[in-house]
Amino acid sequence: MIDSFYLAMRYLLFYRVRSLTVVACLVLVAALPIGLDRILEESERQLTARAATTPLLVGSKGSSLDLVLNAVYFGGQTPDPISLAEIERIEETDLAYAIPIHSGSFSGGAPIIGTTIDYFEYRELSLAEGRSFAILGESVLGAGVASRLGLRPGDSLVSSPESVFDLAGAYPLKTSVVGVLEPSGTPDDLAVFVDLKTAWIMQGIGHGHQDLTRVQDPTLVIERDLNRVVASAKVVEYQEITESNRDSFHFHGDQSSYPLSAALVVPKDERAATLLLGRFVDGSLDAQLIRPRAVIGELMETIFRIKDILDLAVAIVGTAAMLALVLVFSLSFRLREQELRSNFEIGASRRTTVRLLAAELVLLTGASAVCVMGVLFGLERFCSAIVRGLFVT
Amino acid sequence: MQLVSQRIRRLGLVVLLCTVLSSAASVAQTVVYTVNYPLAYFAERIGGETVSVRFPAPAHVDPAFWMPDLEIIAAYQAADVILLNGAGYARWVGQASLPRRKLVDTSRSFRDAYLPGEEIAGHQHGPAGAHTHGLIAFTTWLDPQQAIAQARSIEVALAMHNAADAPALARRADALVADLEQLDRDLATAFAEFGEEPLLASHPIYAYLARRYGLDLRSFSWEPDLEPGEAGWQALDVLLAETPVSWMLWEATPLDSIGKKLAARGVGVLVYKIVGNRPASGEFLSVMRANVEMLVHAVGRATPLSRIGSRTAPSFSDSKSEGVSRAGREIAALP
Repeated sequence: MIDSFYLAMRYLLFYRVRSLTVVACLVLVAALPIGLDRILEESERQLTARAATTPLLVGSKGSSLDLVLNAVYFGGQTPDPISLAEIERIEETDLAYAIPIHSGSFSGGAPIIGTTIDYFEYRELSLAEGRSFAILGESVLGAGVASRLGLRPGDSLVSSPESVFDLAGAYPLKTSVVGVLEPSGTPDDLAVFVDLKTAWIMQGIGHGHQDLTRVQDPTLVIERDLNRVVASAKVVEYQEITESNRDSFHFHGDQSSYPLSAALVVPKDERAATLLLGRFVDGSLDAQLIRPRAVIGELMETIFRIKDILDLAVAIVGTAAMLALVLVFSLSFRLREQELRSNFEIGASRRTTVRLLAAELVLLTGASAVCVMGVLFGLERFCSAIVRGLFVT
Repeated sequence: MQLVSQRIRRLGLVVLLCTVLSSAASVAQTVVYTVNYPLAYFAERIGGETVSVRFPAPAHVDPAFWMPDLEIIAAYQAADVILLNGAGYARWVGQASLPRRKLVDTSRSFRDAYLPGEEIAGHQHGPAGAHTHGLIAFTTWLDPQQAIAQARSIEVALAMHNAADAPALARRADALVADLEQLDRDLATAFAEFGEEPLLASHPIYAYLARRYGLDLRSFSWEPDLEPGEAGWQALDVLLAETPVSWMLWEATPLDSIGKKLAARGVGVLVYKIVGNRPASGEFLSVMRANVEMLVHAVGRATPLSRIGSRTAPSFSDSKSEGVSRAGREIAALP
């Protein structure tokens, strides 16, 4: 047998391009469905893990998938806002606490997430450099953002609104970077975090300006009496919060009416979660309370239904590829008829010829199997990073 | 001999284990940060040894206008429970990033009953823009019934943090509430002696006191260590011409010159301390008790009222420990 394998190996090496083509074909046909399956499985695991760590989410009525994608994965469209009163209502039940999420501003292409420092504790995010934000005008960067923009504590970044058409609303606000998070392999790596009040200032709800009760310029004031000063549009609002002007920043109106994109709701236990969900089920409230895991689960089901169709397509293509290979081999044997007759004429028996051809097939199949195992081993080792790279970066 | 040494070794291990366990138990206190002294006092009374109460504002500042540095804000962030007074007290809270789940607004239960405070001009942007209001009166604890509500809120917060200690917390809270109820009765009796005579206040910080005891209180915006100026005295004279008044409440003893000018106008000085910050001597209830005594003596009644567990009687001459001038507030606000 060894002499057959030796001759087969010499033959394949002589026609190496043809051999490599066949091996590549076999590797693709075998590795593609397995690899795709593995990547989808890892994607499901990572997406579901992120959703599973968010027990409940409250947000505006409408697409629950959009709500989850924006509030949990910081992607997609910014949903319609809910008011702070919604989470105050939830907190008053003593069944859960809420972590507000405000999105809609960006900096350097990264979403700016307004929240409270409870968020870092809840997501178990630790700092690689610096500290957490403590006062208005400070920001903490995800590891990916810091790396991409080349920023570290002591630097600054400027916000920009989601819509360039919002000319009468948000002004760019310069914030100080005070901390950088450790890499977490989650969408938190790609976000900029600020205090919720800083996010409101970015949105234009809060602002700072000179003390209108002391201005001398008459063009800054439309009307004045003992109790009230009506300012004109000429009043310039500060675009950076500093030590000297921080005291001037203020908000107008009732804070309970201020907007949030959503809020993570952390119930005390499963019973509390069920009770809370029950309060929202009849649809009479202005918001919806959902389980992100269920929403992502439905998404995954849809994806896997599509995957089933893709699997079928891959199977059909694979079968066609195998049939094509069989045809190629049979045509190859036809083309090698002269060579095979020569073997017979120099004394090789029919059995020897069959052994030679079989050895070629075994070597090709064996080489393909080794390559497939190598590809799958590499995929298994780097699958997590590949999926994170596809979805996170 | 071997048996004895084995027994000694076992005994040593048991002693060591007990020491470790007891020290672990004593270390597991709930760390509570507050924004003013009354809340710190209530938390200490209610929490007892199960809490470690921190109120880091310096003694010479008014906590309502104090701005802590980043290190202190970080300490607040790391607390187990953060007690807020509510009613806009401690402006720094609106500028700092504090963990929402640890915040306890102790006056939330009666926020519908807040009163307007110092009249300052609000502003709005454009004729139709939303506007800011003047301040809300934030010395909520001056009404003992409101102080009781705040104490109960603290009890609930501490019990949620340590359910096993709930019965003991309830007992201590009941004791504090009993003291505050007694204070309420004593203050009602003391103020009743003033009849319907209007009172003056040097600063609009006694709104809740006035409402609780039905006082006709007219407030100015004077500081104990600053002459009010000609305009201030003229405003007082106009008021006195319409309404004779015998007494003016002050958060701290005013300058001698102010006292003399008031005396010349027939207005006596009543130093009613609000105890927003830690007193130089005594504690919250002893200072409030001293306020009661001061009111009683002001109207010439010598009959002592009941004592409320005071440890030392506050000194009326120790007037600079409470109530801070505008200059002091400005100093406190500097970084």
